[in-house]
Parts: sequence; C-alpha cells; structure tokens
Amino acid sequence: MSDKNPFGISITPGKLRAKPKDTSPKTVAKTDAAAEKHGFTDRSPKKRRGRKPSPRTGQVHAKVMPDVAREIGDEARARGVQQGVLIEEAWALYKAENDL
Amino acid sequence: MPTIVVASPKGGAGKSTTAVLLGTELAHENVPVTLLDCDPNRSLTLWADQADVPRNITVLSDITEADIVRTIKAHDADGQVVIVDLEGVASRLVSRAISQADLVLTPMRATTLDATIGARAIQLIAEEEEALDRRIPHAVVFTMTKAIVSKQHKGIEISLRQQGVDVIDPPLMERAAFSGLFAFGGDLHSMPPMGNMDSARDNARAFAMQVYKRLAGEG
Repeated sequence: MSDKNPFGISITPGKLRAKPKDTSPKTVAKTDAAAEKHGFTDRSPKKRRGRKPSPRTGQVHAKVMPDVAREIGDEARARGVQQGVLIEEAWALYKAENDL
Repeated sequence: MPTIVVASPKGGAGKSTTAVLLGTELAHENVPVTLLDCDPNRSLTLWADQADVPRNITVLSDITEADIVRTIKAHDADGQVVIVDLEGVASRLVSRAISQADLVLTPMRATTLDATIGARAIQLIAEEEEALDRRIPHAVVFTMTKAIVSKQHKGIEISLRQQGVDVIDPPLMERAAFSGLFAFGGDLHSMPPMGNMDSARDNARAFAMQVYKRLAGEG
C-alpha cells in the first residue's frame, strides 16, 4: 500500500461484531424455497446410481476340474466376492512362495 | 464475525478478484480473515497455492451446499471476517450462503448484461429478507472499470442508485496488478510490480475501507 491514505479510516477489528443468525433446518428450508422461486436450484454434483464398474478388466481362460470349479464358486459366493478375487489371492500366494 | 458473501449468478464478473482483494487488504490491516472457496473452479485455492498465504488469512476449499451454513457458523467470532466466494451460477449454495450474510457484495462489470444477470442476486436477497424476516445488507461494486466512465456505466449506476441499491465507491478498476494476484499469489504488498502498484493498492484499500465502514456501521 502506498503511504498516502485516500480515505483516512483506521480499521478497528473490535468493531466487527458477530451477529447471531438462524441456522436451523427450518430456516434452510425457507431459504431453499425462496431460492427456488428465482431459479437458484440444487446444482451440487450428483453421485452416480448403481454399482460402480469393476476395476477387474483382465481375464484368464482357465479350465479346471469340476469339483475345483464347484469349490471356487461356493467360496466366492460365501464371501460375497467375484471368483477373480480368489484367483488374485491364489496368485499372490504363488508369487510369495516362489519369490516372484 | 461479519460474513461477507460475494455473489452473482454471472460468471466472469470479478467475484474471486473482489474476494481476494478484500481479504488481503483487511488482513493487511490486521483483521483475521477466513476465505471460503465454494467455487468448483477453485479460484481462491489456485491463488492460495501460488505463494505463501498472507498473514491473518485462512483459506478453506471445497465448501459445498451441504456444509456452507455449518462452516460459516463454525468460524463465527468477533473481530474476524469470513469472505465467501461463490461460483457464478444460480445455485442453492448461493442462497444458503446469503442467508448467513452480514453483507452481500455483488460485483458486476459496467455492462447491461452483467447488470441484468447480477440483478437476479439482488432479487434473491430481497426474497430471502422476506422469508427470513431479517435485513440482509447488500451492495454492488463495479469491477474492471476504466478511468473514463462510459455512458453505459453511468446509466447503470444511476439506475441502481435510483432503485435504492447501495453502490460502493470507488469501483475496482481494471488493473494488471489485480489479475496478477492469481499469477503470483500473495497480496498487493508482496507481489512483483505490475502496472501502477501505488494506484492499485490505493484502489483496493479504499474499496476495503468502504466495505469495512458498512460492516462496522460507520457507513
């Protein structure tokens, strides 16, 4: 700021007093209703509905013995996960055992 | 603490520049200032990221419609100022912020388009005053004005004043230093010189003083 003071008023923060305002849900509702009349509407970003797309886009083509297929299917259903999750876990174990 | 809401449904009216100039000038005068960045474009946050935030200023980002009332209330204290910068759209976030305001500033360029769209904010304030049974002080500040005042500017200002609208004098002129704040961050006292810095500082200070007078009841 330059030295000259065109208006010559000193600021006293103590003069800036808090004033109580109604923040109740009723007041917010009244505000929203007034806003609606003038086209001030809810423009907050909306969350997408439904299940998010799975990040599991890779695919393996594995044929296994029928009993193994049945057991993998039962385990995945019991845990509420995709069968691919079990394959990922098995692969992680395999890598750990073989220092891959 | 007085809460100043900078609101206009018109984009590019100078809301963020007004908020930063006002906040930094008040902070320079030792007033603690909290800037609430409610604009998804994050203009204030971009300014704050350019350099060290000046002393006495706190910037809070990503304030949404759901938490604006709560956030303003949480920072309520005597001797401080909260400045709310909003997106240039007609949203419910704007109206909720106005409901908590001690002063609503509507920046507008001196054009018929800006004035017409900016007037929607003034109409909304009147509606909220009636709904909430509380006076909400408001004022218009012309932004990006030229040294030579155009006929259009004069005509709009006269029209607003005739309708009882408070117009802040001085306006915020078009200055390289004002737009430079978003390139360099900081305030007019710390940034590298751009254009006539003395005039820019005097303009910003005189504007901030006029806002202060309204908040302190000296206007």
